[in-house]
Amino acid sequence: MEKKEFDALLENCRLSLDESEYERIKADVDEIIKYFDQIDSIGTGDYKEAFHPVEIPGEYRNDDPKKFEDVKGILENTKTHRLFVLGPKI
Amino acid sequence: MKIGLEMHVALPTKSKLFCSCSTEQVEEPNVNICPICMGFPGSRPVLNAEAVRIAKAIATVLKCEVKDKISFIRKIYFYPDLPKSFQITQLSEAIGSKGSLAITDKDVGIRRIQIEEDPAKIVRQDNYSLIDFNRSGVPLVEIVTEPDIASEDELKEAVSTLRSVLYYIGVDVEQEVKTDLNISLGDERVEIKNVTGVRNLIYAAEYEIKRQGEIVQKGKQPEKETRSFDEQTRTTKSSRKKESEEEYGFIYEPDLTDYETSGLKVGEPIIPHEEAARISSEFGFSYKTVLELISFDRNSLSLLSKSAGKFDQKAVISTLEDLKKFDSTGIGQEGFEKLVRMSADGVTITQSIVSGIKSGREVTVKRATQDEIDAAITELLTKDRTLLEKYKENKNVVNFIVGQISRKYGLQPKDVLDRIKFIIQRMSDN
Amino acid sequence: MKSYIKEFESMDKPSGYYTELVGNLESLNTELNAFNVINKELKDGLPFSVKDNLCVKGVESRASSKILKGYIPPFDATVVSRFKEKGFGFLGKTNMDEFGFGTFGTNSEKMARNPFDPAYTAGGSSSGAAIATSIMKYHAAIAESTGGSISAPAAFCGVVGFTPTYGVISRHGLIDYSNSLDKIGFMSRSSADTRIMFDAARGRDPKDSTSLDAEIKNTKYTKLTVINQLMDGVDKDVSDRFEKLLGKLEQQGFAINRVDLPEISAAIPAYYIISMAEASTNLARYTGFKYGAKVEDFSLSYNDFFKQARTNFGTEAKRRVILGTFVRSASVRSKYYNKALKLRAMLIDRMKRVLADSMLISPTMPVKTPRLDLIEKLTPVQVYSMDVLTASPNLCGFPHISFPYDYADGMPLGVQIVADHFQDHSLMSFTDKWEESFEYKFKHNLGEL
Repeated sequence: MEKKEFDALLENCRLSLDESEYERIKADVDEIIKYFDQIDSIGTGDYKEAFHPVEIPGEYRNDDPKKFEDVKGILENTKTHRLFVLGPKI
Repeated sequence: MKIGLEMHVALPTKSKLFCSCSTEQVEEPNVNICPICMGFPGSRPVLNAEAVRIAKAIATVLKCEVKDKISFIRKIYFYPDLPKSFQITQLSEAIGSKGSLAITDKDVGIRRIQIEEDPAKIVRQDNYSLIDFNRSGVPLVEIVTEPDIASEDELKEAVSTLRSVLYYIGVDVEQEVKTDLNISLGDERVEIKNVTGVRNLIYAAEYEIKRQGEIVQKGKQPEKETRSFDEQTRTTKSSRKKESEEEYGFIYEPDLTDYETSGLKVGEPIIPHEEAARISSEFGFSYKTVLELISFDRNSLSLLSKSAGKFDQKAVISTLEDLKKFDSTGIGQEGFEKLVRMSADGVTITQSIVSGIKSGREVTVKRATQDEIDAAITELLTKDRTLLEKYKENKNVVNFIVGQISRKYGLQPKDVLDRIKFIIQRMSDN
Repeated sequence: MKSYIKEFESMDKPSGYYTELVGNLESLNTELNAFNVINKELKDGLPFSVKDNLCVKGVESRASSKILKGYIPPFDATVVSRFKEKGFGFLGKTNMDEFGFGTFGTNSEKMARNPFDPAYTAGGSSSGAAIATSIMKYHAAIAESTGGSISAPAAFCGVVGFTPTYGVISRHGLIDYSNSLDKIGFMSRSSADTRIMFDAARGRDPKDSTSLDAEIKNTKYTKLTVINQLMDGVDKDVSDRFEKLLGKLEQQGFAINRVDLPEISAAIPAYYIISMAEASTNLARYTGFKYGAKVEDFSLSYNDFFKQARTNFGTEAKRRVILGTFVRSASVRSKYYNKALKLRAMLIDRMKRVLADSMLISPTMPVKTPRLDLIEKLTPVQVYSMDVLTASPNLCGFPHISFPYDYADGMPLGVQIVADHFQDHSLMSFTDKWEESFEYKFKHNLGEL
C-alpha cells in the first residue's frame, strides 16, 4: 500500500500512530492484505453472501414506548452540563 | 437545470426505531434515552414494526416497488451527534424504489425510500458542544428523488405535493425537516447538505440557481462540491468535506436480520391531487380550489366527496372555506350539510354556529324582518352621515357598512347587503 | 456423569467459604492474571465468572481495553441475568485479549498465564475464563468465541470449552467484536456442567434480534470425520498423539472417516476479513466522551478529539480497525468483504455435507502450548495461522467443544469436536462418554470442599 493511501486510511479510521507504531503496523497491514489475497484463487460459484451463519427469522418489536429503568446509570458514564452530554467542539 | 431532493421525514411512531424509548420531544435533554439510542457497548437494535409499516405506506403511495424483505446496513462516519459512529440505514435493501410523484407537467422519479435512525441533537458552543440524545434513534424515512425537477416552480410544487401526500398517511413534514438538495446547472452535481425547513429549502434553491447561473453565463462550470446553507444570509457556501462513498464503508447490519414486510397492513393510498382531479371533473368544481381545500385537510376531502352534487357548488365550497377559519374538527357529514343549507340561505357561518353544530344542539339563526332590517340601516346611516359620503366616493365601502350594521344590530350580513343599496338609494333620493 | 455444579449445590459450605475462596483467588491472580475484577462481596451461590466483554450492571466492563476504562454498564447481559436468576453468585470479570483480538491472551495490559506453568500461554481470547476454570473446583465460566476464543484457551488450560451454534444464546450485553461471528459459550471441568450452563442460558431473547429459539438435538453419531487438509498444518508431535486418540476412539466403536476439503483453506482469511470488517465498525463508537476513557480537552476539534481517544487502543486493535476499514472500502469491498461472505456460504454448505452423518474431529490447536517468550516473536500472520482448526466452525456457526485428551510434558492437549447446527447436545453426549474413560488433571483446586 502506498504511504498516501495508508495515511488516508488512518484518517478515515480516526487513528494517529506514533513513529514506531506506524512503520510496524504498515508493514503488518501489507503482509496481512497479501495473506487475504489468497482467497482470489478460490471460486464461490453461485453462492450468495451469508450475512449470518444460520437463518434467523426477523421479529419486529411492537410500538410500545417504555422508559429505560436506569437513565441515571447511563449519564453517570458521561460528563454533563445543564443535563446535556458534553462533547467535543464542532 | 436538474434538481433532486433527499428529504428526511420523521415517522409518527410512539417509540424509537430500534429501542422502546419514547419519541416525544421534550424540553429537558437526555430524558428519553437508553443504552441502545446512546450506542452503549453491549446494546443492540430491535426493529419497530410501526416504523416499517408507515415507511411501507409512504413507498406505496409514492408508487414504489415495495420489497417483501428488507434488511439494513451500517453507514460509518464520525461526528459527535452519531452515538455509534455509524448510522443504521438502507441502500439497495431499502423498502421502496423506482416510484414517482406526479406534479402538473411531469412525474418526478422516486429513486428510493429508505428507513434510518435520526442522530442526536447537537448544540454548538465555543469550546465544546452540548448533546441531547432525546432525538437520537427517532425513525426517519429518507425520500430520495431523481434529479427530475427542472425549475424553481417545479421544486415548489414537488415539495408541496409531497407534503400533502405524506399528510394523508399521517406523516407531518415538520418545520424542522432536513433536506439535502442537489442542484446542477452545469455538468457537475452540487450538493447542499442539511437544509432545515421547507422555506429554507426554497431559499437555498433560489440562491444556488442564481449562483450557478452566473457561473454558467460566464461560460464556466460550477464545481462539484458540498455546500451548506446559511439561514441568516440565505446564501450557500462551500462546507466541510463529508465522507465519500469509499469512506462510508457500508456493511450489512449484522445485529439485525431480514424482515418480512408483506404482513404489515397499509390502508388504500389517498393521493390528494388525484382526489382533487376526480372531484373537480365529477362535479364540475375548479381543480385548483378543490386541491387547495383538501391538500392538508382530511375532513374537507371527506365532506366534499360526500356533499358534491347534492348542493350548489358555491355553497359547498364557501362553507368549506368558512370552516377553515374555525376549529372544525369533529364536524360530521350531517352537521356539514346543515351548514351548507344555512350558507345557501344567506347565513354567515360563525364560530358559535360551528360550535353549536359540533355539540349537536339545534342551531337556529334569528332572522330579522325586512322592516327591522331597513330600520336598522336607516338608523345607522342617519346617525353617521359621513358613511354615505364615503360610499359615494367609493362603492366598496358598502362591505364595511354592512359589517358595522350586522354587528351592531345582530343581523345577517347577507340580509343587510340585500337591502342596503335600496335604502341608500332611497336616502339619496330624499 | 460428574457435575461439580450439582455436587456444590448439594453440599454444606463451611462458614467463611467465600472469603477464603476470594482470598486465595486474589493471591493466585497476581501470578496468573485470570481476573480483571474480583467480587469481594460474594456470599452465596455457585461462583460464576464473566468474560470482561460481557456487561454486568454496576461493574466495570471493559473487554480488557484501556479505551473502556471506567465503563459501568447500567444493565446486565442476558446470559448474566439468567445465571443470577438461577441462583449463581457473581465472582468477577475475567481477563481476555483486548476486545477478543488474540489467540494467546497476550493482547491485554496484564498478560494471562497458564496455570500449569506461568511461563506458558493460557491461550486466548477467553484466557481468564479458562484459567479460572482450571484453578477452581466449583465454578462456572461464561466465555465468548468469535474465531476460536473458547477452544484455544480451553485446550491450553486443560478444561472443557464449549461454543454453541450461532444465535442460540443471546448476545445482549456483549461488547461486540464481530456480531455475525460472536458466540457466548462456557468453560467447565465437566461436560455435564457445560450442559447445565448452556441450558440455563439459551433461548430467544427479545433484546437480541439475532437470537433463536431452536430445538437443540442430541444425536448419537458413530462416525467421526477428519479433514485431511486441516492436518497439514499440525505439528508432528501433536498429530502423532492425535492419531493415537483416533485409535482409541476406534476401539470404543467409532468409525473414523477421512475426507478432502481443499476449500477449507479459505476459512482463516474469510474469518479475519469478516471479523475485522465488522470489528472496525463496532470500534468506531469509542470516541472518548460518552463512556470509558475520557479525553479531557473538549475544545479540541472533534476529529482530533476522537483521534486522541483512540490512542487508547492496543496495537492489535489498531491493526484490525485499519484492516477492517480497508476491506470494506467501496473500491475493494467486493474483492474482500463480499467475497468472504460468499466463501462463508460455500463453506457452510460443504461442511454440512460432511456433518450430515458425522462429527468432525481434530486437535484443537496445531501446536503444543507455546511459551510466552516465543509468542512475542511471531508475526500477525503466523498468529492468525494458529486458528487453522478453530476458524472454520466459528466462521460457519457450527457448535464445537474442546476437551483434554492427553498431557505432554505436564501440559494438557485439547481435541475439538464439531457438529452440525443445533446439534449442541450431541457434543456433550460425546464428551460425557469420553469422561467415563479419561480423567482431567488440574494443578490447583481452589474452593475444594
